[in-house]
Amino acid sequence: MEGNATLNERPVAIGRLLWSRIIWRHWRREPRLILVLVGILALGVAVFLSVRLANKAAVSGFGMFTESIAGESDFILRPTAGTLDVSALRQLRERAGSTPVGIFPVLEVSAVSADRPEDGWVKMVGADLVALQNAAIYTGGGALVAGDSAAGDDGIPGLADRGFVGSSFARRFGIVKGEAMPLIVNGVPVEFDISGVIPENPNLPSVPDNLILMDLPGLQSLAELEGKLSRIELRIAPGIEAGENRQKIGALMWDLAAEKGWILETPEDRKSSVTQMSAAFRLNLTILSGLALLVGIYLIMQAMEAAVVKRRGEIAVLRSLGVTPAQIRAAWLWEGFILGLAGAIVGIILGRLMAMGLVVAISRTVNTLYYETTTSAVTLERGEILFSLVFGVTASLVAALIPAREASMTLPAQSMREGGQGGGLALLRQWPLGLILLAVGIGFAFVPPRVLASGSIVPLGGYLAAVVLVLSASLLIGLLFKPLSMILKRGGKDDPMRLYAASQLRRPEGRHRLTAAGLAVAIGMSAAMGILVASFETTLTGWIQQLLKADLYVAAAGTNSVTNGNTLSASTWEMIEDIPGVSGTDKIRRYEVSVQENNFFLGGVDYNDDPDRFLQLMWLEPPALKGPASLETRSGEAFPGWASESLARRFSLEVGSRIPLPTAEGERPIEVAGIFAEYGNETGTLLVARKFTREWFGDDRISNLAVYLDPEADVELVLETIRKTFPGLVARTNRKLRTDSIRIFHQTFAVTYALEAIAVFIAVAGLGLALAGLLLERRDELATLKALGATRREIARSAMWEGIGLALAGLTGGYLLSFLLGWILIFVINPQSFGWTLSYHVPWFSYIALAAITLSTAAGVAWSVGYRNANLRGERKE
Amino acid sequence: MKALQVSKITKSYDKVPVLRRVSFSLEVGERAALMGPSGSGKSTLLNCIGGIDRPDEGEISLQGQSLKGMDENELCRLRRGTVSTVFQFFHLLPTLTAAENIEFPLQLSGMSESERKVMLPELIEEVGLSHRSHAMPHELSGGEMQRVAIARALAIRPKLILADEPTGNLDSATGEVILDLLEAISERHGIAMLLVTHSPGVTRICRRTLEMRDGLLVDQSEAAV
Ligand SMILES: Nc1ncnc2c1ncn2[C@@H]1O[C@H](COP(=O)(O)OP(=O)(O)OP(=O)(O)O)[C@@H](O)[C@H]1O
Ligand SMILES: [Mg+2]
Repeated sequence: MEGNATLNERPVAIGRLLWSRIIWRHWRREPRLILVLVGILALGVAVFLSVRLANKAAVSGFGMFTESIAGESDFILRPTAGTLDVSALRQLRERAGSTPVGIFPVLEVSAVSADRPEDGWVKMVGADLVALQNAAIYTGGGALVAGDSAAGDDGIPGLADRGFVGSSFARRFGIVKGEAMPLIVNGVPVEFDISGVIPENPNLPSVPDNLILMDLPGLQSLAELEGKLSRIELRIAPGIEAGENRQKIGALMWDLAAEKGWILETPEDRKSSVTQMSAAFRLNLTILSGLALLVGIYLIMQAMEAAVVKRRGEIAVLRSLGVTPAQIRAAWLWEGFILGLAGAIVGIILGRLMAMGLVVAISRTVNTLYYETTTSAVTLERGEILFSLVFGVTASLVAALIPAREASMTLPAQSMREGGQGGGLALLRQWPLGLILLAVGIGFAFVPPRVLASGSIVPLGGYLAAVVLVLSASLLIGLLFKPLSMILKRGGKDDPMRLYAASQLRRPEGRHRLTAAGLAVAIGMSAAMGILVASFETTLTGWIQQLLKADLYVAAAGTNSVTNGNTLSASTWEMIEDIPGVSGTDKIRRYEVSVQENNFFLGGVDYNDDPDRFLQLMWLEPPALKGPASLETRSGEAFPGWASESLARRFSLEVGSRIPLPTAEGERPIEVAGIFAEYGNETGTLLVARKFTREWFGDDRISNLAVYLDPEADVELVLETIRKTFPGLVARTNRKLRTDSIRIFHQTFAVTYALEAIAVFIAVAGLGLALAGLLLERRDELATLKALGATRREIARSAMWEGIGLALAGLTGGYLLSFLLGWILIFVINPQSFGWTLSYHVPWFSYIALAAITLSTAAGVAWSVGYRNANLRGERKE
Repeated sequence: MKALQVSKITKSYDKVPVLRRVSFSLEVGERAALMGPSGSGKSTLLNCIGGIDRPDEGEISLQGQSLKGMDENELCRLRRGTVSTVFQFFHLLPTLTAAENIEFPLQLSGMSESERKVMLPELIEEVGLSHRSHAMPHELSGGEMQRVAIARALAIRPKLILADEPTGNLDSATGEVILDLLEAISERHGIAMLLVTHSPGVTRICRRTLEMRDGLLVDQSEAAV
């Protein structure tokens, strides 16, 4: 048929006609409405981008400096546990033969500033400085060693207690070159000279502000680790044969590592295990970016829906004049594209600014928890810009397409009927679909997790369930409007403005639904995080309560992290045991070990003899033998061990299963005697008797000491004695340790709270903008109201009631959603990804507080929007 | 060939019948008035004929072309050349001036600018709006708006103009003028017209009067010319 041909003959001409005569003129006539729309779009893009940027900055904060001293080293050899012996270097050189490869032995020790122990960690890295300099690493080709120091060319005499720091370190600790800095290394105070500041080199990652670079022998003697290495880094000399050499060395080292039981790491390995960031923290950020994404989409949909729905009548007229649906769709899609583009550009600028604030908050948390990061600046890469543009424009196009499609498909006679509303996103009115999604979402929660090749577990079903439930909530929320409108109406029989607001909610437009849905998602996800945190806290507090039975806890200064290698020597803890009033101690020595390329913690524990007073674990599978005896009684050649819940999950261990444990003396089989709950880390812990680890690793040092006192002993007095005798140790009372643990816990989630607050704030701002848009569109009605004698304040009041209705819908829907999401987080995602069993706990007080804040903010915002817009001049009907 | 042939069309909203087996026809250039109480289905019938609504059953043919089975694009083409509608509430495009509103259908049908330059002043002249052609819709009086709507309907030189209470929103004097205008246009261009009205005065320009009652076309009286 020729019909279609003639109709779509001049798409450009008709497109231009619609554009120049209709859309563009609307823009010119109503710049305020357009600004509001672009504002909503920008907010959506900004919240999305800022959380992404902040997330990325946090991740790169962890990933930076690659923990590699030789920059991009090709291989790193490290022991599965403990340290390497320097003899490894010789073996390695023999293997490498004549292949040109740079070999950099490294020793890493952590220390703490004696003056400012609260300032966190200092990482001391001992390396062959001459070799580093020759390889022009970290010196940018400039003089590192020879420069200002008095060192000669060969060997560097007198460098044992000197170190080099980056300029950020110097700033942080107020160091002047040549000045001494008192440090505590392995519990021993040392005076330490800073002999140079490493210049910043723009081509290299900046030197972290907690790193001291030293000559290897110097650090070895300082830390009493003579002849020991943490790792050996290998760098293939550049050149045409580099690729070939890398392969050759790789194969040789692989053999060597397999032979000696070492671990060989390639840069790829390191990238895949990029961060040591706590998985819990990462999960937080993942959920938050999801939250930002959804809130962003809702805001954008809302803006575009409005743009199209508002002109429903006009579209009908155009159709009655013979404009085809396709032409109408095309014109409105172009509008969506251009608005989306403008919104995205503004949003990128806004998001960049918001991200800076977020990054400061995130890196503060990261620093208190993991100490190993620098505040990495927010970098707005081209990729991110492009991604945000695509996000903003795509979301706008999709958002514009659905209502445009609908408006152009409805019979014009329908749309033209006065007040013939109920248009917009028909999808949003599909509450039966919402019920189906609800069932599907709950079903997904029971899908078993996916185990990746790397061994890590992804709770895919849990995440899918969360997404589907969020969608379902968006559809079901429409059901709330009618009852809410009735409640509003019933309570306000004598207030016509309230009745008017109720009438608006009885027939919600698409943007009412979208606004409430956006708010419900923000509230639902935030509150679900609240459930997670509260459940976590309740469980953790109970656990700490049970765990901490001793009177005093002693550790080397700064030992707030298991990864830190600081230890107490045998003479130190023996002296503490001899202090009058001390009746017994529990001792633990921690090692980081690796089995099947999975790292976890090994604890050698040594419990005191009093059966009532040793470390109380929370048992999931209690051992057959009561108390420490269970750890000391060997059955056959295997050694008994207690596995933490997360370790058991990662290695599929049950009571009676065995796990081969790498030790300095070779592999030892450990048989699981019991499984205990542990919330301190998600990598897992294996506890064995210290008498065995002492043998295997040949060392009598310990990491922590729990001190039990005689009933009549004075806790404070013993504490004082320990502090005076051992200034390098940190001793805390039971109560202090508890409060410290809880404080650290709260710090972990401080960022979460901040980000949630932002999400809810933006959803409420979206509510304000939505109302502003609705009122602008309703200006005729407002004019009628005023003609009927309504004052400006009364109109503001009706807007306020409408805002309260919207907020109530969002809150009700959001809270219902949060119970489900919380359930999924606690019983599906959490056990699958961390292996932690938590008890479900709803923070009712926070719920009430959040509701009060949201409602009052929404009421205030809505009132002022109403007040501002009440004086809009009504339009005469054409 | 008839300008309009309606046979046995039926339409219900929510199971309530609004049109019940309505049949009638209009000759080329014939004008008929459609009267009846409020809610009897007059506008619905008109919308179905204009192709902006669809009957449940029955057949409508314009210039011998059946609307049945036409897809949306074909209906659009019909509205661009064969039939146009004048509404009670004018339905002008609010962003366009009077002249631009009239020009719009010409641009849609792809008329070149030079042709439009000739035709547009003629149309404006024909409805007597030369002095107000640059005004925006909200600056016009009801009668002026209806003149714009009529010129817009006339622009495509349709074979049939459907008018839904064209004088319903106007005072009687203005209404008379608009009726004269419609009659003149119909005579001059040989355009058939179906006028929905509540005022018996309208019948003076119509040869026939059709009467709707509860969705039924009950009476087809031949009025004296
Ligand atoms: N979209 C619709 N949904 C439901 N009912 C409708 C719809 N459109 C029309 N009706 C109903 O169909 C009947 C006929 O309506 P219609 O507009 O055709 O009447 P009318 O004869 O034009 O009345 P009036 O003289 O008042 O304009 C009315 O009862 C009306 O309520
Ligand atoms: Mg009618």
